[in-house]
This record gives sequence, C-alpha cells and structure tokens, in this order.
Amino acid sequence: MSAKRLDVHGTLRDMEWRRWRELGFSLGLVALLAGLLNGMGFFEAGRLIQGGVNLARFAREMFPPDVRILPTIAGALVETLQMAFAGTLLGFLLSFPLGVLGSRALFPAGVVAVVRFLVAALRTVPSLLWAVLMVIVVGLGPLAGTLALAFYTVGYLAKLYAELFEAIDPEILEAMRGVGAKRRHLIRFVLWPESANVILSQLLFMLEYNVRASTVLGLVGAGGIGFYMQAYLGTMAYSRLTTVLLAVLLLVIGMDALSAWIRRRYLLQP
Amino acid sequence: MTQSFPSLRRAVFLASEEIAVAVEDLWFAYREGKWILHGVNLQVPAGGFWAIMGPSGAGKTTLMRILAGLLPFPRGQVFLLGHPLQGKPEPGLRRIIGYIPQQLGLVRGLTALENVLLGSLARHPGWRTALGFFPRAEIERAMELLELLDLADKAGEKVFRLSGGERQRVAIARTLMQDPQLILADEFVSDLDLPRAAQVLAFVHRLARERGLTVILNLHELQLVQEFADHVVILKEGQVVFESPALDLSWPLFREIMEGKR
Ligand SMILES: Nc1ncnc2c1ncn2[C@@H]1O[C@H](COP(=O)(O)OP(=O)(O)OP(=O)(O)O)[C@@H](O)[C@H]1O
Ligand SMILES: [Mg+2]
Repeated sequence: MSAKRLDVHGTLRDMEWRRWRELGFSLGLVALLAGLLNGMGFFEAGRLIQGGVNLARFAREMFPPDVRILPTIAGALVETLQMAFAGTLLGFLLSFPLGVLGSRALFPAGVVAVVRFLVAALRTVPSLLWAVLMVIVVGLGPLAGTLALAFYTVGYLAKLYAELFEAIDPEILEAMRGVGAKRRHLIRFVLWPESANVILSQLLFMLEYNVRASTVLGLVGAGGIGFYMQAYLGTMAYSRLTTVLLAVLLLVIGMDALSAWIRRRYLLQP
Repeated sequence: MTQSFPSLRRAVFLASEEIAVAVEDLWFAYREGKWILHGVNLQVPAGGFWAIMGPSGAGKTTLMRILAGLLPFPRGQVFLLGHPLQGKPEPGLRRIIGYIPQQLGLVRGLTALENVLLGSLARHPGWRTALGFFPRAEIERAMELLELLDLADKAGEKVFRLSGGERQRVAIARTLMQDPQLILADEFVSDLDLPRAAQVLAFVHRLARERGLTVILNLHELQLVQEFADHVVILKEGQVVFESPALDLSWPLFREIMEGKR
C-alpha cells in the first residue's frame, strides 16, 4: 500500500512543471508574433514615427465630418440595406431545398454527397470575390451585390440546415412514415416545425452579417454605400468619408438592435 | 425447394383474416451476423389484446418496428390481417396499421390538432395536405377524436407545452385518425405513473373492444398486463420463451422466467 500513498512532493513538482511549460509556451507564441511583425517592418522606428504622424494628419482631416453629403449618400445607404435583405432572403430560399437534399435523413447518400460538395465549393469563395464575379456576369450595380450575398449565404445556411435536419429525432420520422407520410409531408410537417426556431435565429445572424458585408461590396462596383467609401477615399475627402463610416456604424447598430428585438419577441420560448 | 402439402395448408391458415398477426420463424439482425431475433413465432387472433414482455434488449422494440413495416427482415414470414408483409407495405396495408413508438414520435412544434391530422395523411397523400390544407371533414374528425380523449381545449396548443399524459392521448388520437385495424404500441405508457398508465390503457382497451381492433403492446408492468391483456408473450434474447393467457402468468412465475430459471 505504501506505493499508493499520496505523493505530495511529486504532485507539487508535476504542477510546477506544468506551470513552467505553460509559461514557456506563452513566451514562444509572443516570440513568434514578434518575428512575424518584424518581418513586415513593424519595428522600424522611422516607419513607426512616420505612421504616427500620418495617423494624426489623417485624423485631423477626418474631423469634423462633412454632413452636407448626407442627402447624397442616403440613397446608397438604403440600397445597401435592400441588397442585404434581398441577398439574405434569396440565399435562404436556395438554402432550404439544398439543406433538405443534403440531409441523409431524407435522401440517398449519392445525392447528399453531390449537394454537400457543391455547397462546400460555394463556401470557399469569399463574398467580395463573389461580388467581382457577379459584376462580370450581370454588370455593375446592386443586382451583382445581391447575388453575391445570396451565393455566400447559401454556402453557410445550406450546410447548417443539412446538419439541423439530420439531427431530427429519428423516432418522429419513423412515426410519420408509419402514418404513410410522403417526403413532402416530412418536409412540411417535421423538418420545418422542428427546426423553425433555429432557422430563424440563423437567418437573423446571416442578415446582420450581410448588412456588414454589403457595405464593402460597392468597392468593386456591386452597388451600395461602398461606392462612396471608395470615391471619398480615392479623392482624399476624409471628412466626407467620416460621415459615410458613421452612417454605416448607425446602420449596423440599428440592424443588430432590430434582430435582437425579433429574437426576444419570437425566439424566447423553445 | 418443394412445398409440401401441410405447409401449404399452414400458409393458407396464416394468411386467413382470423389471425391478425402471424409471425413465422422471423430472424433479424441490425448488423451482419449479430442476430437480434432468432426464429420468433407468434399468432395473434383478430380482436386480441396482447402484451409482449421481456428484459431490456430482448428485441421487443425491434419486433414492433418489423410488424409496423418499418424494418425489412431477411428471414421468415409475417402476415398482417391476412396480407403478407414483404419489404415496404403497400399504402392500403400501411393505412390500417397504427404504430405508436416509445417516445410517441409527435412533432413538438405542431399543435395537438395538427399532430392528429397527420394520421389522415395516408388517405390524402397529395400536395394539398403537404401545403397544410386538410379536408374539412378530416379536421372535424380530428376534433371529435380530441374531444373523445378529453383534449378538446388543448387542440390549439403546441405539443411541447402538453403534459406527458396529454401527449400520450394525442398519440392515440393520431393513431385512431388512421382508422387502424391493428395497433402496435411500444411501451407507450412506461413514462407514466401506474394509475395514469392504467387510465390510458383502460381507454385503449375499451376502444379496441368497441371497434374490434387488435392491439399488441410492449409492457413492463406485470400488474398492467394482468389487468388489461388477454394474452402475454415473453421475449428473451430474441426468442419467445413463454406464452400464455395473461391471468396464468403469476408473479413468482414471471420472476422465475425473467431470472432465467426456466
Ligand atoms: N438501430 C439499431 N442498430 C443496431 N443495434 C440496435 C438498434 N436498435 C436496437 N439495437 C440492438 O438490438 C437489441 C434489441 O433492441 P430492442 O430495442 O429491440 O430491445 P427492447 O427489448 O426494446 O429493449 P428495451 O426494453 O430496453 O426497450 C439491443 O441489443 C440493441 O442494442
Ligand atoms: Mg424497446
């Protein structure tokens, strides 16, 4: 039994050893970061000082914001919002059927594999690149931005939905088959009501994300407020740029507040 | 293989409508080589109220799922109300078998009424119902059933807000909505306390008598079996080890069988 007695010294030594290892690991990470930054020129004193001077001048020129342009950018702001809404909704409409086709609970493995590959492929393209592609396909303007957001949305939502549908209690599906339900009934009476809450919640998340994402799509000519960001940046009209940024900030905050309200109002109960 | 005359006669007998459920040498495995049911034989007469008992893992749920036409089986024969069961049952047969799984399989996000209406899907398999439009007559029937089960005031309530006993009754109503001739219920009262379970069973029993339904239930409680079933089967390790009128199964005998002394 003596070998099994609590070895206080040994335990303490182990604990200390673990602390040292954690410390060493943290220091290693810091060193790695320093090395990376150094490689990019972060530690060159001249550059840092010049950077500070530039920042100060930039800040001086940014303020006060030039609010006279508000009427000019109002239309673009509304367009941004429209793109986000339309893109999210269109993406949702495409995601739901793809999610159904991509869930093993309802379709054979072959169909599921093809759909999942397609969705994964959609997901690898970032939204700004989608915007460039859509500008090439449908030309400049908000339609390109809306389609870009829709494709980006599908990449995420279709995957989330497929996983959601696969997690549905198999006993419910079995009981439904037992009453003679067809696949269309399973979709309408099981998949939808069993996952509506999560679907709405993820849709709101996607909408918030798309409002933020849609503000930059104008950089590549895909419509919305991004056009003015780029224009004012390019002409060094920084006080006007400030107005644009503050307007976007308000838009994003407003959108988050709206979706928080919807969540509280409709999603509190399970 | 040649079919000898007696076995042909036997097949005719099994396919007769006097026997609601006939199971002949039924074998089943979820995974290759690991048999869960080894040669089960059963003959449940039409109008019978039978209980299946047995230790956990004996294969009771598996047997129910097979009888409900939800699991294809590799060996043996099953006749339901005179029809042979092979692969997926055809819609006509499907319609007259009511299956209530252990956790009931209700859709929690739908109302009680909507869940009951789902029982009519076999009669209306088209797109109209898939869009949520049920014939008026079916809605009226579903309401009548809810009334019969004392649930009329809960019709519009979502199932996740209902109590355990209320859910049980919704599941029964959904099954009755199918207009079944055979009800298969997998331990569907095991989540209720004894008095409530007895209440539910009494109701099903009365209804089955009135409508001439055949009922097979998986049950854990010998008391309930003795009170409601007219016949009992004990399944152990995938085989029928005991079968008798329910009243002949006494406590000592039951314990002996379950503990493996017989
Ligand atoms: N889907 C499945 N895949 C593989 N094995 C399964 C599956 N379902 C059940 N089994 C196995 O089959 C055996 C019988 O299971 P079954 O559910 O029929 O037992 P049971 O008699 O209903 O038990 P209980 O009283 O606990 O409900 C068990 O060993 C179980 O592990
Ligand atoms: Mg079971």
